[in-house]
Amino acid sequence: MTEFSARLQSLFPHLLATPALSVLLTLIAYFAGVTIFRKLRQPVWCPPVLVAALLLAGTLSLLSISFDDYRRGAGWLSFLLGPATVALGVPLYQQFHHIRALWRQILVTVPLAATMAAAYALVIAWALGGSNSVMASLAPKSVTAPIAIGINQQIGGSVSLLMGSLLVTGVVASLCVDLLSRRLGIDDDRLIGLTLGINGHAIGTVRAFEISPTAGAFSSLGMGLTGVFTAVLLPFAMQLLALTAT
Amino acid sequence: MPLLRGFLTLLLFLILGELLRYLCNWPVSGGVAGMMLLTLWLMITGDVRDDVAQTSQHLISLLILLIMPGVVGVFFLGNQFDGQWLAIAAALVGGTLLSVLTTLLLLKALVPQKPAEVPHD
Repeated sequence: MTEFSARLQSLFPHLLATPALSVLLTLIAYFAGVTIFRKLRQPVWCPPVLVAALLLAGTLSLLSISFDDYRRGAGWLSFLLGPATVALGVPLYQQFHHIRALWRQILVTVPLAATMAAAYALVIAWALGGSNSVMASLAPKSVTAPIAIGINQQIGGSVSLLMGSLLVTGVVASLCVDLLSRRLGIDDDRLIGLTLGINGHAIGTVRAFEISPTAGAFSSLGMGLTGVFTAVLLPFAMQLLALTAT
Repeated sequence: MPLLRGFLTLLLFLILGELLRYLCNWPVSGGVAGMMLLTLWLMITGDVRDDVAQTSQHLISLLILLIMPGVVGVFFLGNQFDGQWLAIAAALVGGTLLSVLTTLLLLKALVPQKPAEVPHD
């Protein structure tokens, strides 16, 4: 009997020795999160990944599995982010013909807007005493998650804080675009879509597809171009600012 | 089988990107370099093969699942960023509001206004 209880105690460490348990828990939380999201009628302010992550965090602390143990197992999922990032090249190529209609404006707007998206956050965080690690984590906040994780590998900072920042940015950007475009009298779906994609990455793009297919296409394009531009320039800019947090 | 063939192509571009990044000492991740190479390749050939398009679509629809290990870490940050939450919140909310405003004003100034319906070509 004592032998059995000893085994019971070492059950989770044993199961966590392979990725199976981490991946299983992630999958369960994912499906539960998506189901709950649909039941809540797909609110903009609460994306499915947030619901799923909350469920997963709750499960981990209930089973007293440490985050480090979980993450070691889940590395198997994180690896697939590499090929998934490469896969983003296909929709980027497919949306590219939309650039023809407005190529001059897009060529000016994307670099400026993507730079300002990072610069505003960095200046505000710096003025309020944010550490180098916080600033490195916030800088790629308007970039779609897989590319942002790639940038994070280069400039440092906390992946988890970055992921939280992406969620907040996507939601706030979607709400701001709704509010400000009406105030400014902008009702061109192409402009609204571009703004959503440039500032609100994938969460903004989901919102854009709710508005119209045109807005969605331009949002995808804005998201892809912002991701590429930021990925190429931000690491250099951060080196220049000597902010690279290790 | 098309799924695996598409996956093979994506992995090939991932490795190519990693190779280029490492040899040129670029501060860009292998995935991003691979994505740019793939886009360039598709523009040159002017066509996406069905297997690549299919696999990409599948992987992209899995993205939420793939970023979850990172997202769940938000709840385990502990006291790592104590005293910085005001700076973080202000940078995210204020910074995003300002950048959305900047983008909209820029586009409004640059693009001649058109009605909501865009003519199809």
